[in-house]
Amino acid sequence: MTEQMTEDQTLLKVTAERYLSDNYDFNDRRERVAIGTYSDPAQWQAFTDLGWLALPISEDLGGLGLGAREMAILAELCGQFLVTEPLIESMAVSHAILSNSPRAEALLMQVAEGTIIPVAAIDEAGEATHLSPTSQLTEDSGQWHLTGSKKWISAGASATHLTVLANSGAGLAWVLVPVDADGVTRDIYPTHDGRGGASFDFDISLDDAHIIATGEIAQDSLNAYRELAMVLSSAETLGATQAALDTTVDYTKQRIQFGQPLSSFQALQHRMSNMLIQTELTRSLVYAACDAADAGRTDFGRFARAAKVKAATVGRKVSQEAIQLHGGIATTDEYIVGHFFKRITALESWVCSKGEALQEFMALPTAQH
Amino acid sequence: MNASNPIPTDYETFREGVRAFLKDALTPELVRAGERTTSVFSDFEAGRKWQSILHAKGWGAPEWPMEHGGTGWDIQQHYIFLEECKLANAPNPVMMGVQMLGPMLIHFGTEAQKQKFLPGIISCDDVWCQGYSEPGSGSDLASLKTTAERDGDEYLVNGTKIWTSMAHHSNWIFCLVRTNKEVKPQAGISFLLIDMATPGITVAPFPSLDGEVEQCQVFFENVRVPVANLLGEENQGWTVAKYLLEFERGGQHFTIELKKQLSKLHRLMGSEINRAKGDPTYAYRVAETEIDIMALEQTELRIKGSLSAGDNPGALSSLVKVSGTELGQRCAELLIEAAGQSAIPWQSAVLAPEYTGDTAAPAECITTMAEYINSRATTIYGGTAEIQRGIIAKHVLGL
Repeated sequence: MTEQMTEDQTLLKVTAERYLSDNYDFNDRRERVAIGTYSDPAQWQAFTDLGWLALPISEDLGGLGLGAREMAILAELCGQFLVTEPLIESMAVSHAILSNSPRAEALLMQVAEGTIIPVAAIDEAGEATHLSPTSQLTEDSGQWHLTGSKKWISAGASATHLTVLANSGAGLAWVLVPVDADGVTRDIYPTHDGRGGASFDFDISLDDAHIIATGEIAQDSLNAYRELAMVLSSAETLGATQAALDTTVDYTKQRIQFGQPLSSFQALQHRMSNMLIQTELTRSLVYAACDAADAGRTDFGRFARAAKVKAATVGRKVSQEAIQLHGGIATTDEYIVGHFFKRITALESWVCSKGEALQEFMALPTAQH
Repeated sequence: MNASNPIPTDYETFREGVRAFLKDALTPELVRAGERTTSVFSDFEAGRKWQSILHAKGWGAPEWPMEHGGTGWDIQQHYIFLEECKLANAPNPVMMGVQMLGPMLIHFGTEAQKQKFLPGIISCDDVWCQGYSEPGSGSDLASLKTTAERDGDEYLVNGTKIWTSMAHHSNWIFCLVRTNKEVKPQAGISFLLIDMATPGITVAPFPSLDGEVEQCQVFFENVRVPVANLLGEENQGWTVAKYLLEFERGGQHFTIELKKQLSKLHRLMGSEINRAKGDPTYAYRVAETEIDIMALEQTELRIKGSLSAGDNPGALSSLVKVSGTELGQRCAELLIEAAGQSAIPWQSAVLAPEYTGDTAAPAECITTMAEYINSRATTIYGGTAEIQRGIIAKHVLGL
């Protein structure tokens, strides 16, 4: 079915797909992740050279000024090729958080050049939510101090910098923290999705240059970040879901049992039809959310959350079915389909869960026709 | 094309025009007929009257070519028209002729056939029904056994058709009949247009599960049909039928109706008659259904975009049919839960558009049970959900 892309979007997709298909091999990825290289510097350099890091940065800040639809094209391909580098994290942080810094232009140039890899650090252990972090930012005569902990940060192993969400005297604050600075402890752990996570403890003094935003601006950019991240996680889920389906269709055509291909059995055909129906419905919603974002429509928030709910639901179902329809081979580490399943599962709870997205969706007013 | 962009102003002007017409043309009784519609068919007389009003306005068959009475609207205008009709509670016009047979006649008919039949279809002076399914031939339609034997300038038709909706109100029937038993099933079928007044035809209506009569069985005993009433070539009927089936699947915009059901759900949830108040999962299930309807609406828009670009949606209309009908069933389930026991009273009379008296069920719930019952048929008619999944498996997935 048509994806209704502009010529430029088609070109972006074709170029990116060709690069990843030629250069992002699944077996190389497995070997690399096994030795703890979650983000390959050569890949990151290539992403930089391809302009992917400049893509979400507005033109007046020196970027390419492209929108959610273009970011989603890359996110979808990240899902399809199981990219472990923190591309969607970096795009969302650049677009929604760093752009609010007084030093936005200088910071974003470093992102676009690949020298800074920023990841947002929001989640904490215990009762804290994204609206009430216990990480504390205090000020004493022009000198800032950050204390607290951030837990289970996806791609935390690959970040050079974190944008840390903290409580300040004036509401929420975003603080830019280099991960290797004195006063930062990073515990890196391997993850089931190959991305490499980390938890962080902070007891660090910082100057003005590290304060990205406070108060209302910080609150607005938190909302913008979450909504964009919901869309990009949905897009990456969509890419992985489609890939899981395609792999399943191919495999059932090859696999002979009872003297015939598995794909000839109606019970399996109808399950794969359901997988296709649900994947296409998800695709429509993800693209519609992008269009709402890019048109600056007020219903974007509803669409972002709807896309997250749908993608999380469908991604889980389709990737589970993909394993079942393959049979035993899909439960092995060397076969690709289980890796789609694992990445989709990790994305389900990234930024927010399906249930949180659904509750937030219900709380937003319906746009009346 | 960007499917989600707001539509340009000239469409809004068009929408205003449609609204103004509907405000004028819809009598309270026609609106009641629309509100009390519990299947694809509205009250027969109301549907027929509405078709004749649309015809008088020049909107009797919007999708037909203009030389035959079409409006020349683009896809978006057509969608707006259908949406506004639904929002204004217009009844569904009598449709077998306009929506099903018309496109066939225009595509396969001779000049003489078009001149003879198209005017009566669009004005609703003729009422058509569809004679496809047989007691032994449902999903396996090509196995049909009603025969038409050539006898000079006539065919002699024998057999029976079932699920012939509205046959008891119709004066014409378009039929698939077997004209050759020696070849593979699909290659021996012809398409006949038959006058219901012909001797040898018997119509036996029977009530559906909701107690209403829409369905019939039609019997043919030595029915003589002029060869001039053959549509397409002899033994080409399957090709004609396939075109029609595709039209039946692709020609529907499910989300117009689904969004209306959704606003009904929201209204019911906020009202004092809501019986699901004690169910904390209810609002979540409604919200998930709403999200699924949004996804289907965006999918319909994508298909509409590809139609505008000149592509054939082909098997994707199967995707929309499966999803649209199953979502309609989910809405009907949610409505029946919210109505609870208040939906169980059965009063056939209150569904008539002229009825204005008391009702045993609350006014909001008089159609709820019938809608729920009839929603089960939506995944059966027009190609079952299983047939649609088979089409997707074969034509989209290549299985």
